Amino acid sequence: MAHADNLYIAASVADAVAVLADRAGTATPLAGATWVMRAPLRREPLAHSYVAISQIEALQRIDISEDEAVIGSCVTHARLAEALAGRGDLAALATAAAKSANPAVRQAATVGGNLCTADFAAADLVPALLCLDAAVELEGPGGLQRLPLQEFLSLRHALPVGSLLCRIVVPRSAARSAHARLPLRKAGDYPVAIASLSIEQDDKGIVTRAAVAVGSVEPVARRWPSLETALVGRPLNTAWIGVQAERLAEEFTGRDGIEAPGWYRVKVLPTLVRRAVEALSAQTA
Amino acid sequence: MPITLIVNGEERATQAAPMTPLLDVLREEFFLTGAKAVCREGFCGACTVHADGIARMSCLMPVGLAQGCAITTVEAIAADGVLSPLQQALEDHDVVQCGMCFPGMVMSLTKFLEQNAHPSRDEMKTALAGNICRCTGYERIIDAVLALTNAPQAAE
Ligand SMILES: Cc1cc2nc3c(=O)[nH]c(=O)nc-3n(C[C@H](O)[C@H](O)[C@H](O)COP(=O)(O)OP(=O)(O)OC[C@H]3O[C@@H](n4cnc5c(N)ncnc54)[C@H](O)[C@@H]3O)c2cc1C
Ligand code: FES
Ligand code: FES
Repeated sequence: MAHADNLYIAASVADAVAVLADRAGTATPLAGATWVMRAPLRREPLAHSYVAISQIEALQRIDISEDEAVIGSCVTHARLAEALAGRGDLAALATAAAKSANPAVRQAATVGGNLCTADFAAADLVPALLCLDAAVELEGPGGLQRLPLQEFLSLRHALPVGSLLCRIVVPRSAARSAHARLPLRKAGDYPVAIASLSIEQDDKGIVTRAAVAVGSVEPVARRWPSLETALVGRPLNTAWIGVQAERLAEEFTGRDGIEAPGWYRVKVLPTLVRRAVEALSAQTA
Repeated sequence: MPITLIVNGEERATQAAPMTPLLDVLREEFFLTGAKAVCREGFCGACTVHADGIARMSCLMPVGLAQGCAITTVEAIAADGVLSPLQQALEDHDVVQCGMCFPGMVMSLTKFLEQNAHPSRDEMKTALAGNICRCTGYERIIDAVLALTNAPQAAE
């Protein structure tokens, strides 16, 4: 197997950005390495050189205040799950981080790597962060830039050379959130489909704000605005929401993949929405 | 520049290219063949080692990122040739079949039991999500571990 013989271990964000810019076009960031190391199996070449960012202390931080959670891009799934446990508004992200992959991979894979891997449709953290209205902060030769996550997802194929995803900013709210995923085995596999939701209700239980995001069904995760609109102004009723999801699911074009054909991913989506609503209800019980 | 790491308590150096999987350096250069190269994609767990006390898939770890790390492989679990209680339980319950998955099972379970000395059956299944066994059907492995963790001497 061919191995790139060039690995630069960056000490700071400025160092990483400078080296990436200097080796313009030939160097790529390396975070947890769990995607990059599988390049030979995907029959992709390794990059000419890598800039390891996983040892940069500033990218390991998680700061949670009443207003927002700021997550460094090199925080691993395992650390994220631990840090967010028990926070209802962020439960979708905590579940996504705790249930993705397997224990040893969760110790290495990072939130930044999950968001930056454009060819990985089954990423768990992406729909979870989309339903939480997250934004990302990039640093690069042009300075600091903040983008809504959905916009970043459409730009990530062609980021300016030297760009580094540094932080993910998640606003806190009075909402509760949940994440439902369907792997073919009970655990370990990539999920066939994912539904993440975040719901705010008034004191009578009427939904005042709804955010629903769908992952793994199409090549890139996205919000489900028509279902969100249908949910607002009514009580949270699992069966009724399931019926609306059945009605609106045809808005998705499922992607064919080795684990499942496209139609199957769309077919299971309403069930996942129901499961996510049930998970929300269980949180209040 | 060689990459130096502490392997099973001993300082070792390698000239391997830094993106070489740690697994290949352990097996081909240090002749520590306990960790197995099976899927090379993080799914099967046969290559599990401990890196600075954390169970990791060594097939996905570039050796360049292991610079200065303390790596423990399955060879160091039976200190002085005496099986660990976990290894002994697997042996006593005649769990091992072809054996391909077991070095990884032992490494994952050793770490897991350090953090959760008395797991439930479900917790064990979740902990083994990254260790695939084609032979045993898992139940015998879980029975052996539960016999160990529920044994009177297991309760400190
Ligand atoms: C067996 C297995 C099962 C898995 N199952 C799941 C699952 O069910 N759900 C799930 O969500 N994930 C799962 N994963 C993880 C997922 O597939 C990716 O491997 C992981 O998200 C990549 O993160 P990383 O930190 O290892 O990234 P790396 O491999 O280090 O990098 C991946 C890509 O992102 C770029 N990159 C990384 N960080 C940055 C940054 N900060 N700025 C700019 N670019 C960056 C790199 O240049 C590279 O192109 C699984 C992985 C394995 C091995
Ligand atoms: S060989 Fe590393 S997980 Fe299978
Ligand atoms: S004993 Fe054969 S794979 Fe587990």
